[in-house]
Amino acid sequence: MKRSSSLAQTLGPLIGLILIFALFAVAGPASFSSLNNLETIARQTAIVGTAALGMTLIIIAGGIDLSVGSMIALVTVITAALLQAGLPPIVAALGGIATGLLCGFLNGYLVTRLKVVPFIVTLGTLLVVRGAAKGFAHEQKIDAPLTWLKELLAALPQGEGWRIVPWGVWLAIALAFLVAGVLLYTRLGRHIIAIGSNEQTARLCGVPVDRVKVIVYSLGGAFAGVAGILQFSRLTVGDPTVASGVELDVIAAVVIGGGSLNGGEGSIAGTIVGALIMTVIRSGCAQMGLPNWVQEMVTGVIIVIAVALDRWRQRRKASGAA
Amino acid sequence: MKFRLVVPFILLTVVMMAGCGKREGSATSGKLTIAVVPKGTTHEFWRSIHAGAVKAGREMNVEIIWKGPMREDDREQQISVMEDFISRGVSGIVLAPLDDIALRGPVANARAAGIPVVIIDSDLKSDDYVSFAATDNYLGGKMGAQELIRLLHGKGRVIMLRVMEGGASTTNRERGFLETIAEAPGITVVSSNQYGGPTVESAYRMSENVLAPLTDKSGALTIDGIFTPNESTTFGMLRALQDGGHAGKITFVGFDASPKLVEALRSGQLNAFVVQNPMSMGYIGVKTVISHLRGEKVEKRIDTGVTLVTPENINRPDMKDLIEPDLTRWLE
Repeated sequence: MKRSSSLAQTLGPLIGLILIFALFAVAGPASFSSLNNLETIARQTAIVGTAALGMTLIIIAGGIDLSVGSMIALVTVITAALLQAGLPPIVAALGGIATGLLCGFLNGYLVTRLKVVPFIVTLGTLLVVRGAAKGFAHEQKIDAPLTWLKELLAALPQGEGWRIVPWGVWLAIALAFLVAGVLLYTRLGRHIIAIGSNEQTARLCGVPVDRVKVIVYSLGGAFAGVAGILQFSRLTVGDPTVASGVELDVIAAVVIGGGSLNGGEGSIAGTIVGALIMTVIRSGCAQMGLPNWVQEMVTGVIIVIAVALDRWRQRRKASGAA
Repeated sequence: MKFRLVVPFILLTVVMMAGCGKREGSATSGKLTIAVVPKGTTHEFWRSIHAGAVKAGREMNVEIIWKGPMREDDREQQISVMEDFISRGVSGIVLAPLDDIALRGPVANARAAGIPVVIIDSDLKSDDYVSFAATDNYLGGKMGAQELIRLLHGKGRVIMLRVMEGGASTTNRERGFLETIAEAPGITVVSSNQYGGPTVESAYRMSENVLAPLTDKSGALTIDGIFTPNESTTFGMLRALQDGGHAGKITFVGFDASPKLVEALRSGQLNAFVVQNPMSMGYIGVKTVISHLRGEKVEKRIDTGVTLVTPENINRPDMKDLIEPDLTRWLE
């Protein structure tokens, strides 16, 4: 049932995305719908989108992770430090991702062992990881030598148009397909949905709840790690203060895309659409020269509307079935 | 059905856009469009820059678009704002970079797209910009230190509250202050490693934390002087001093002006502050980018000046223009 409804689940947010895009295309300057700007939108969505892949799994499993923004900051710092130490870029990047994975594992471990709700645990690690990033960087940004890592999310240079978008965006797209595959076609995916739908039942049916949760949070951390690498690519420095508050964008992307904070609901496609919606609003407002406060209000209104629509649709479906 | 919910929302969005769109409408009638990108939008300092930019815009008949990062002091968000202006294709950009390295990419992209960039306020380690117009921040910190040494007659215990990790302009002020104060043998710096953060609120909290261990049993402060290197730390520290009943009893030199700080200087709660000339920075930034667009030669480095304001000179007319400029004339 889940599988057949996942397409329909994505349809609502997708219509929203198209409507919002059309609105700006009509009301905004011509440059808004230019290819150039579409590439910019894709690049600007990659970071939140990648982090949101892991968050989708966590939220479907009935959890939450408030520490992703801090993880992204820590990853940029670690990556910059590794590069500065003279390690090759690929090692620095893997080191960064491993850092994210480790932070995620810590979240999962604490959630399952301490029996404290994830909201509180990750609220704690939000501060711990942010503090660690600042401490590790000696409360400064870390400059790193320029390497190919910066090309991951850089604007496409002349004559490389065949790539359509930079490698970092392709990486995010590939990861999205991978996670969607895991969610739909593997035992781990079914376990995640089962835990989020009803943890007690899942436990009684023999789902190794704690182990799955630790895996899910670790994956969430790893995706935050990849997002951190992408963030580093844009900044070219390790910045312990970056991405503060990004966890809210990431959670909003999942929720706009049909994810339920009660668990059991959500889809990767929806999440990506959710992340795109927020970038499109941002880009559209910027192109029209609207001040920041308008953009903040519009985004807020859209989050509430999107979720309200979704709940309304579900209620209707439930009453129709009864 | 679904549309019944969607329609009012779209209407709402359109109304909001229309309401604000008038003030800063999109590209019109072949006028030059200059985007001004500050580090944030809520500080008094950036309002002055905005006013200066608008003043230059009106004098030279160009359209000014003012847009800062969504989250104050967020490097990533400032990069996004730059990208948006590049893909929109504005005529020129005036940028106050949040980071001397991270903003290099967008500035290089702007240049590649044929959009000249003038840097204001903080330096950028790049050759891709047209000109750099800013305060000599090191000198500003040095002037603050010299005034504090003078007021304390060369001896005492002082503290300095830093602003943010990695901000080039405030780091230079902090360096100017510390290197100058180190030359006064009678003065010890008790604390100089705490950061006030991006807002008045965070600076206020940090000030309380810094002052708490420096208070003796009777509740009096065990230090003699304070230096704060920007508006938010100065105001945050002032609030903490007022709450503790220390305001006016301790020698306090700040940086940047706002109406509240001018009031504090007049009432003796603040002994002096160093001011930059943000309005002229915004004005010169826009003017320089337009001169460049018109094919005139521009200076690579332009100094926009620093001044020490004290109770003795605050009532001079030239000071009034510096510390209490009439912003409403330019910002509606």
